[in-house]
Amino acid sequence: MTATSRSSGKLLLIAPAAVLLGVFLVLPYLNIIVMSFRVPGQGTPYGEGFTLGNYARFFADPFYLQQVANTLGIGLLVTSLSLAIGFPVAWQLARGDMRFRGLAYGLVLSPLLVGIVIRSYGWTILLGNNGLINRSLNSLGVIEGPLPLMYNTLGIVIALVHVFLPFMILPVMAAIQSVDPSLEAAARSLGASRATAFRRIILPLCMPGIQAGCILVFVLSLSAYVTPSLIGGLRVKTMAVTVVDALIDTFQWPWGSALALMLAATGAICVLIFARLTRMTWKAPRP
Amino acid sequence: MTEVNIENLTKIYGHAVKAVDGISMRIANGEFISLLGPSGCGKTTTLKMIAGFEEVTAGAIRFDGQDVAHTPAEKRDIGMVFQNYALFPHMTVAQNLAFGLEMRKIAKPEMQGRIAKVLEMVQLTGYDGRYPNQLSGGQQQRVALARALVIEPRILLLDEPLANLDAKLREEMRVFIRELQKRVGITTVYVTHDQSEAMSMSDRVVVMFGGRIAQIGAPDDIYDRPTSMEVAQFVGQVNVIRGQALEAAGAGRLHVSTVLGQVDVEASESFRPGTALTLTLRPEALTLAPGGGVGAQGQVIGRYYSGALIDYTVSLASGENLHVQTFPNIRFVEGDAVSVAAPAQAFWLMGPAQ
Repeated sequence: MTATSRSSGKLLLIAPAAVLLGVFLVLPYLNIIVMSFRVPGQGTPYGEGFTLGNYARFFADPFYLQQVANTLGIGLLVTSLSLAIGFPVAWQLARGDMRFRGLAYGLVLSPLLVGIVIRSYGWTILLGNNGLINRSLNSLGVIEGPLPLMYNTLGIVIALVHVFLPFMILPVMAAIQSVDPSLEAAARSLGASRATAFRRIILPLCMPGIQAGCILVFVLSLSAYVTPSLIGGLRVKTMAVTVVDALIDTFQWPWGSALALMLAATGAICVLIFARLTRMTWKAPRP
Repeated sequence: MTEVNIENLTKIYGHAVKAVDGISMRIANGEFISLLGPSGCGKTTTLKMIAGFEEVTAGAIRFDGQDVAHTPAEKRDIGMVFQNYALFPHMTVAQNLAFGLEMRKIAKPEMQGRIAKVLEMVQLTGYDGRYPNQLSGGQQQRVALARALVIEPRILLLDEPLANLDAKLREEMRVFIRELQKRVGITTVYVTHDQSEAMSMSDRVVVMFGGRIAQIGAPDDIYDRPTSMEVAQFVGQVNVIRGQALEAAGAGRLHVSTVLGQVDVEASESFRPGTALTLTLRPEALTLAPGGGVGAQGQVIGRYYSGALIDYTVSLASGENLHVQTFPNIRFVEGDAVSVAAPAQAFWLMGPAQ
């Protein structure tokens, strides 16, 4: 086979994905970028001509900057909690007793099997002022009056961690599985305590999985709409909720597009910074 | 430099699975000892208990008299080489070697000196900056050895370190490891299922079956004077022949009549004349000559040429089959009439026939 025919074969293989991405991702994105520079319309989604006004409005109003900050805060909190909760689970799945691995794996995946709307409604039943948690605590006499679990950041974070935990656990588990257990034994034979062996050997080798899990959960949290809108209600709004409000409820297409792009941009910047900070300190070259 | 004493060491998994069943041995200072046995015989479990990776159910492990059976692995001051080398893939050779020294808080200049010295010892000077995946299997093996030795441990433990190497390299590494061990003078425990590896490297071999020690002894002891048929068969090919006790032939010796003639053999106990006995003969101790010569008469029925040696199967007129291994200077073909003989010292009396 000649080099050209081989490379054209490869092109053919990626063609379906390329077409799909081009038509349904790149084109809409370009459309949104163009839209974000359009003039807001009167009675129509957008008017004639182009302007920088939408972006000026965004940067001039501390309300929106604050909202971006809140959204990023929720993303960071959800990501770190997912890592803290998910790592031990991933470890157990990768290294633990074989007997319950199938069951545990199923439990980890189970949140993904139920639609996100249903799961979020479930949380409203649990977290609401008249919800299961508050009622139980009330009837047990532990608290007087409901704990504020819903319509605030806490509730959104709890529900998002539940929803996105599998996206942390699965890549981290795969990374842990790829680390040879005898490396830990080797480190200990050389005089390292369990903690040191973990920090110096296991953790650096799991880093690619941790990185992937964190980026997934962070990005998903930033763009989450259903859960924040159901649990945050009207009181706490994340950027994604505001974007949908602008686009669908108030028909401000240019303004909504600008907001959506600012959300995407801040997310991208955060991911870049994160990748830089956690960049793998080792780059074992291929032999 | 450490003497190791193992006393009634036992490992039970769950409730009843006895992986190691009350073994005892004394390993002298600077001695190279091999734990030899089939898989599942408890040799690796024993090594892991000495290393501290496996909890001890009962018994003691003493390093110079001090019981370490319940000391964590990192406090035992051991050097260990793993079957798959277990080099840290994200660290260079130098960083791998430095790891154990850092744990011991060795100052930088001394560290560099020791790393340079040990790299020279394993003939890898100049490889400091390589990552493990840039090294061949044999080189990785030597880095693993260097990493275990650079910390100057009390004892060196090796868990089937040559199992992943190809045959030729394996032979070279046997000599290499043994020479290095002698030079350093470190007490060494070596686990293997390969009898020739154990024989060629060790001062003494511990043969294990089913969690128990079947025999401890120098390689030639184990090979020439096995205490059980299991050991005899595990450490090499063996011919089993029957014999009949005749009268005693002086202190500790016995006249025995066999299909290969009457011989006098070492006997640790006395047998009444007429007792049926089992004797063993190593195939390479037998000699072949054209038919009609000295010894038992038979016919070649199988012949396997392996370069350095030829394996013959000879069917004796008496109906028994013998394996004979000879240098290829005398050649027979299938169907040839041959006579088989063996010197008296080639016979080993195993005991009364079962």
